[in-house]
Amino acid sequence: MSSGQERRCVITGMGVVAPNGVSADAFWKATREGISVLERVTREGCEQLPLKVAGEVRDFDPTALIEERFLVQTDRFTHFAMAAANLALDDARLGATDEDRSPYAVGVMTAAGSGGGEFGQRELQRLWGKGSRHVGPYQSIAWFYAASTGQISIRGGFKGPCGVVASDEAGGLDALAQAARTIRRGTDAMVVGAAEAPLAPYSIVCQLGYEDLSGVEEPARAYRPFTQSACGFVPAEGGAMLVVEEEGKALARGAQIRAVVAGHAATFTGPSRWAESRAGLAQAIRGALKDARCAPEEIDVVFADALGVPTADRAEALALADALGGHASRVPVTAPKTGIGRAYCGAPVLDTAAAVLSLEHGVVPPTPNVVDVCHDLDVVTGRARPAALRTALVLSRGLMGSNAALVLRQGDRTPS
Amino acid sequence: MSERLTLEELAALMKSAAGLTVDPKQMAALPDTPFADFGLDSLGLLGIVGELENRYGATVPDDAERCRTPRDFLDLINTVSTTGA
Repeated sequence: MSSGQERRCVITGMGVVAPNGVSADAFWKATREGISVLERVTREGCEQLPLKVAGEVRDFDPTALIEERFLVQTDRFTHFAMAAANLALDDARLGATDEDRSPYAVGVMTAAGSGGGEFGQRELQRLWGKGSRHVGPYQSIAWFYAASTGQISIRGGFKGPCGVVASDEAGGLDALAQAARTIRRGTDAMVVGAAEAPLAPYSIVCQLGYEDLSGVEEPARAYRPFTQSACGFVPAEGGAMLVVEEEGKALARGAQIRAVVAGHAATFTGPSRWAESRAGLAQAIRGALKDARCAPEEIDVVFADALGVPTADRAEALALADALGGHASRVPVTAPKTGIGRAYCGAPVLDTAAAVLSLEHGVVPPTPNVVDVCHDLDVVTGRARPAALRTALVLSRGLMGSNAALVLRQGDRTPS
Repeated sequence: MSERLTLEELAALMKSAAGLTVDPKQMAALPDTPFADFGLDSLGLLGIVGELENRYGATVPDDAERCRTPRDFLDLINTVSTTGA
C-alpha cells in the first residue's frame, strides 16, 4: 500500500474453492460465462429448514487434496482453506521446499465469520447422545475460527506473522490489508484469504435469524441485487486464498505479478443499518482511493457488495456516487456473486480473485440472474463485457456493520 | 481390559483417531521413537486414550496421555490392565 512505496504488496498466486469451480481457472470460466450455480440446498439434515437456496461446493473431494492427518482434526471450512492455499502456493510457485527461504519470511492471515460448524455439530451430538467421553479432543481446535490459519501455517511450515481477522464479512478484505501491512513491516510473503462452510444444519439454523436472508425458493429469483425484485441474499460456502508478496522479493525469484494490492480502508456503521452504510462505505472507498493514490476516474470496474436488500443496494449505489462522483454512473459495476451466493468472509476474497482475473483478461464478468437494474449504475448483466482494465475496486459489507473497500492495480501477467 | 494392547491395535488407533498411517512393524523395530516422529501430537494421543476408555470401559491412568513413545504407552496400559486396575 501507499506508505510503503519501497515495499509494494503484490498478488502472485490464487487458489479458489467456489460453488462454480475448484481452481481459479474453473472459477473464472464459470464466472466469465455468467453461469449461476445457485440451487436447492441438498446437504443432509437441511431438507426441512426454511433456507431453500444456497451455493454449495459440490465437486470437492478433500481426501484428494489434503493429508488424512489434517482432515481428521479439521472442519470443512479449513479443508476449503487448506485446499485453496495449496492451489495458491502452486500458482505462485512458492513451496515449503524453497531451501534458501527462512521459514519466518512467510506468514498466514485468514478471515473467518463462523468457524467449524459441521465438526462442532457432530461433536455436540456425541456429547448429548453418548456422553462427554465421546467428544474427540480435536473439537478443541477444529471449531475455532483461527483453525485455518493455524493448519495452513503448520502444514506449510510458515512461521512468519500469523493471525485471523474477525471483522465480519468485510474481514475478507481486511485480511488482505493486514497481510499488506505485514509485508510492509518486513515479511516477504503472506498466504491470505478466507473460506467458509456455513451450510451444515447447525450453521444454517444460526443464520435463520438474519432478516436479510432470501426466503425465495426458486434459485434464479432468490438473489437479485439492484433490481425491484431484490429479496435478500443467498448464502454460499467456499472461498479463496492468495499468495501476496513484497514486490522486489517476488520479482527477484522470478514470480509473475498478477496484481498489485494498491489501497484499502474500512469503516463500521452498525448491524442492519443499511441506510447508514452509505456514509460508511463511501468513506471506505475514499480511504482506499487515497491509500492507493488513485483518482475516482481511474477506477475501471467495481465489484459491488450487492447484498440484495433494497435499502442496502440503494446505500451502495449512493456511496459509489458520493465517493466517485459522476464516474459512478459510468464505470462498469458487476457482482458475480449473484451466481454463486455470498460465502461470508470468503465472498470478498472470491471477488478479489475475480477482479484480478478481470484485469488480466480485460473482461468484466456479468451479474447472473440480474436484469432491469433500478439504480443509476452501469451493472454488467447478461454477458461478459470486454474492456481495458487497469484498476479495480472491490467492495464488501457485513451483516454486523463492517464496510471495506480494496483497490487493485493490474499486474504484468498475461493470461495463458 | 481383558487383553494386552498390541502395537497392531495401537497403529489402528493412530489411524482412526489421528489419521496417521503407521506400520506396526516399524514401531516394533523402534519402540522408543517419540510419537511426535510418527506425526502423533498430544491431542491425537488424548483421542486414543479416550477411545480405549470407551472401548473397554476401563479407566486409563492420567499419565497415559503424557507417554512419549509407543513402548512407554504400551507398558503403562498393559501394566494397568494385568493388575486389574
